[in-house]
Amino acid sequence: MPRGLVGLVGANGAGKTTLFRLLLGLARPTEGTVEVCGHPVVSDPIGARGRLGYMPEHDCLPLDQSAADVVATLGELSGLPARAARQRASEVLDLVGLDEARFRPVGGFSTGMRQRVKLAQSLVADPELALLDEPTAGLDPTGREEMLVLVARLASFGISVLLATHLLDDVARVCDHVLMLDAGRLVVAGPTETLLHQTGKFTVEVNAGVGRLTRALTERGLTVVAGEAAMDGEAGAIDVVVGPDAEPVLDTIRDVLADLGLPLHRLSSRAASLDEAFSGGGEL
Amino acid sequence: MTEVRAARGAVYDRGYRPYDGARGGRRAAVLALYKASIRRAIGLRRTWRQKVLPFGLLAVVSIPAAVNVGIGYATRNSPLEGFSFFTYREYVGVSSSLLLFVAVCAPDVICPDRRQRVLPLIFARPLTGSDYVLAKLGAIGTIVFAFSFLPQVLLFVGQTLVSKDGSLEYVKDNADVLWKVPVAVLALAAYYAALSLAVSSLTARRVVAGAAVFGVTIISSIVAAILHEADAVGGRGPLFNVLGLPLLVRDLIFEGHLHEESDLAGVAGAGALAVAVYFAVLALSVGVLLWRYRWAEP
Repeated sequence: MPRGLVGLVGANGAGKTTLFRLLLGLARPTEGTVEVCGHPVVSDPIGARGRLGYMPEHDCLPLDQSAADVVATLGELSGLPARAARQRASEVLDLVGLDEARFRPVGGFSTGMRQRVKLAQSLVADPELALLDEPTAGLDPTGREEMLVLVARLASFGISVLLATHLLDDVARVCDHVLMLDAGRLVVAGPTETLLHQTGKFTVEVNAGVGRLTRALTERGLTVVAGEAAMDGEAGAIDVVVGPDAEPVLDTIRDVLADLGLPLHRLSSRAASLDEAFSGGGEL
Repeated sequence: MTEVRAARGAVYDRGYRPYDGARGGRRAAVLALYKASIRRAIGLRRTWRQKVLPFGLLAVVSIPAAVNVGIGYATRNSPLEGFSFFTYREYVGVSSSLLLFVAVCAPDVICPDRRQRVLPLIFARPLTGSDYVLAKLGAIGTIVFAFSFLPQVLLFVGQTLVSKDGSLEYVKDNADVLWKVPVAVLALAAYYAALSLAVSSLTARRVVAGAAVFGVTIISSIVAAILHEADAVGGRGPLFNVLGLPLLVRDLIFEGHLHEESDLAGVAGAGALAVAVYFAVLALSVGVLLWRYRWAEP
């Protein structure tokens, strides 16, 4: 897994939480090895945990303690001296926007504030890698936006992030790389931008001869996704998949239309989405 | 023209500062959990309500010592007829008060971690399941030891000061107390800590855990009484009394044998059996704790 912001996506039961447990040394792989920041997890899980921060998905905070106390105590449990833990707790709570509320009991916090406390405790010991499990869970749109902004900043602090989520929009917005799990297997992996480029498309609509257009473009090596009416009537629209470089594809479309003398009605690009990348099983 | 003064201020984005200071390992983490558990048990960094019970019980268990010393001082020149001071041996194990204390404090340090699902946060740190158990045992054991030992210190210091034979003579006459009391209190503290934590670890609800601690001790004492009355198991019925077992060990520490008023007096090998059952209960309790947190073992 490369450094930076990495999205880990998959449906419920795909294995995201199991992967986190493997990285934390709370589960053993049936085969193979696990390394975290160059540190072997199976032989030294305690050492590996020293490099990790973990933000669970579920509610996990002591409700009768103040945010400052919770984060400071967890900082001490990470090995920080007591005074340093209190100082760090104050700093990370300030970072996540809870500076003024840090002496209030967590039990009186909103969902968004509790998520911030969870994020803060994952950062208090200055980890190399932060494992964030559904950080935007339960948040309203404003809270989700604020959380994503915070997460996006982490990479600039030198902290790598593995962000587990089922929201592809979150991944597309903040992550540099994407890993997709399905039934415990890695099915998609690669830079987010490349995956989006791979699934970018041009829509070509002609007033006649769409079948001939489809065959000609396919013979020229392009990937064509035909629409509902493309194979049946003379007029129709097709999608042509675009790779990282759109120029050669456009040139080919232009040449084919000219050679076949087909009446072009519309040529437009369509923004890709990670949904399409995953439904197509994109892979680098 | 009116001059408007603009407000002056500055916004500082301190950003994020990496930490490059000292980092402790597993030992530091265990010590931190131990200290945090003690703070929780006696209500530090919590509301005043959480402090009432532990310190209230400490006051309650110290009252006999204060009364003893007070009466000793008041009657130092004219001893009271028919009054005998309680001994250090008798003062070790004020059972009902200690039972109430552990039934409240042990669930309070272990059940919320499970109920509020804090355990994943704890075990994402450099801590194993056995480290967690060690820290919790140490915390409750320390508190029970302190709450049992401090009244003894009060009693000893007070008696020393009011002794009509003089302080130095009193200390010389009671020098053996200086090791017997700590050892007996330690045996009591370890036992109560392990047993109460083991029972509490079986549930996530503090009230249920507290009731279970009471239940185990009371039911066992009833069973022991029934067996004793029925003269079953060769008169060794009192060994089934979970609550009274450490008091038998206390007698062995203070006197080298079971007390003549003990229900086991006269039973062959009862002293050795008492020690064996004591350690068996202790081992079973620790085993239950390690089993409950085995999933966090690497």
